[in-house]
Amino acid sequence: MRFLRRYLRRPASLVGVGIVLAIVLIAILGPLLVPYSPIAISHALLGSPQPPSLAHPLGTDILGRDELSRAMVGARISLTVGFAAMVVAIVVGTLYGAIAGAAGGVVDGTMMRVVDALLSFPTFFLVIAVEALTNKFALGIIILVIGLLSWMGVARLVRAEVLSLRERDFVAAAQALGAAPPRVLLRHLIPNALAPVIVAASFAVGDNILTEAGLSFLGLGVQVPTPSWGNMLQDALLPAVRSAWWLVATPGLLIILTLFGFTLIGDGLSYALGSSSARR
Amino acid sequence: MEIGPLIAYIVRRLLGAIPLLLLISLISYGLMGLAPGGPTAILSQQARSLTPAARHAYEVALGLDQPWYVQYFYWLKEVVLHGNLGNSFVDQRPVVARIAEKLPITVELLTLALVLTLIVAIPIGIRAAVKRDSWFDNISTALALIGYGVPIFWLGILLIDLFAMHLRLLPASGINSVGREHDPLDLLRHLILPAATLAIVSIAGWLRYQRASMIDVLGEPYVQTARAKGLPERVVLYRHALRNALLPMITLLGLQLPGLVGGAYFIEYIFSIPGMGYLGINAIFQRDYPTVMGITMLSALMVILGNLLADVLYGAVDPRIRYD
Repeated sequence: MRFLRRYLRRPASLVGVGIVLAIVLIAILGPLLVPYSPIAISHALLGSPQPPSLAHPLGTDILGRDELSRAMVGARISLTVGFAAMVVAIVVGTLYGAIAGAAGGVVDGTMMRVVDALLSFPTFFLVIAVEALTNKFALGIIILVIGLLSWMGVARLVRAEVLSLRERDFVAAAQALGAAPPRVLLRHLIPNALAPVIVAASFAVGDNILTEAGLSFLGLGVQVPTPSWGNMLQDALLPAVRSAWWLVATPGLLIILTLFGFTLIGDGLSYALGSSSARR
Repeated sequence: MEIGPLIAYIVRRLLGAIPLLLLISLISYGLMGLAPGGPTAILSQQARSLTPAARHAYEVALGLDQPWYVQYFYWLKEVVLHGNLGNSFVDQRPVVARIAEKLPITVELLTLALVLTLIVAIPIGIRAAVKRDSWFDNISTALALIGYGVPIFWLGILLIDLFAMHLRLLPASGINSVGREHDPLDLLRHLILPAATLAIVSIAGWLRYQRASMIDVLGEPYVQTARAKGLPERVVLYRHALRNALLPMITLLGLQLPGLVGGAYFIEYIFSIPGMGYLGINAIFQRDYPTVMGITMLSALMVILGNLLADVLYGAVDPRIRYD
């Protein structure tokens, strides 16, 4: 509870929670409330995007689809990618880092060289390469690719925590009581190493949303007609529709706002957990 | 500083980079080997007349009928023995030559973006730390955070629309105006928008790091000593605190480099700048494996060398660091 009080003391952290809650609510409820189908093409409006009006508060896109409906359904897709890829990265990174830290010695050395190698790639280039070469754009695949290429930072964090934790008395006590190594790892080491992971998780959701947007811009992300903020931007930035400012503004501002929210939460958590004052 | 231990340190680090580069090449090659389709799939889409027999002959000629680990072995042998990264599948020119002509422009873009980032982030970060929790601090931090979340391609295209299309102040793409191919000023004019785009999304990281570092230093006992002996605040801040607050920024260079390189590649693609990223992303789409491998390896090498440079620089400015 002391943690919660510390977190809530900062106004910026509250703003972060507010923004993210609002976006999550839109993602959950939006698709149930949408006034129009997000994928139904209107032949009457085909080819001439309509500016915002009472009937279409955020206008329509080049295929005559209602932008508000697409933005709300897109929120669900973008947040799903952001959260799910984060979970993949956290699970893989935590297990990997904890095993390396607990094993120590040559195993640790080898495992962390692999992390070094993966961190030497410009990750985004790698994500593009994997998506373009495999040519598979199902939501699950995109989540896996983003998650499996972004766990390395988490592995480093967890390994550092585990290295210091494994010398502590409570770990020796657990071992003396006859706990098997997997049990020590899962029940004693990992739960105590999670504080920095929670902060990293918050930043990761935002980073993943940006990665998906970048992929979609290159046509390698979530595929049409399913809307994601990324592929809505790709549509809007086609030279033919670029003068339709509302199509450029809506997904762009939603991404910026969401990222802002997650960063504020990450900062607030980092402050409340008493870790270093700046991650980036 | 002793030069002997420094050289030994650099050599040790470079030797340590060799297994790392091997691992990177193995991972990349494996990823490409596992990809379905392969280069000839694209070829048969483009040329419908390509018979299965001709396609097979082509694959044999390129060694693509072998399993990926055999191909990897041949690739590695050529690299180690002859420094040869193979020939492009697209235009049959040596990959080394293709990359060599693109590398300078990428390095120029990266340098310009980094300079722009630093001249904004450092003074603002310092001032935000000194005026901690003031409106200046809050607003600059909030703006930096907003900048961090901007999709880079979105910002790039908005800046092109504003400065190139509407105001007609700067060129929209490419690196040269017609007839001014060797004019450095013209090059600079072409690089301002892409570099500024990259800088805007990078500023947040540097600004926040600089601010945190300055706040840490301002809490040090020697700063209190300087104040206690009656030095003017200006001297305390800029003579005593600033130098030590700048040190950790060198470490950040190493941490930020992969992201910066990746961002530069994306920017090149958006602004049609013929650098490594433009080459690389197009090579990915064309499944030009030798070129993709070359770019991947060179990118990793740039990141590794950047980290080494950061560590050496850190030692050069901080006498407490020793290399033995």
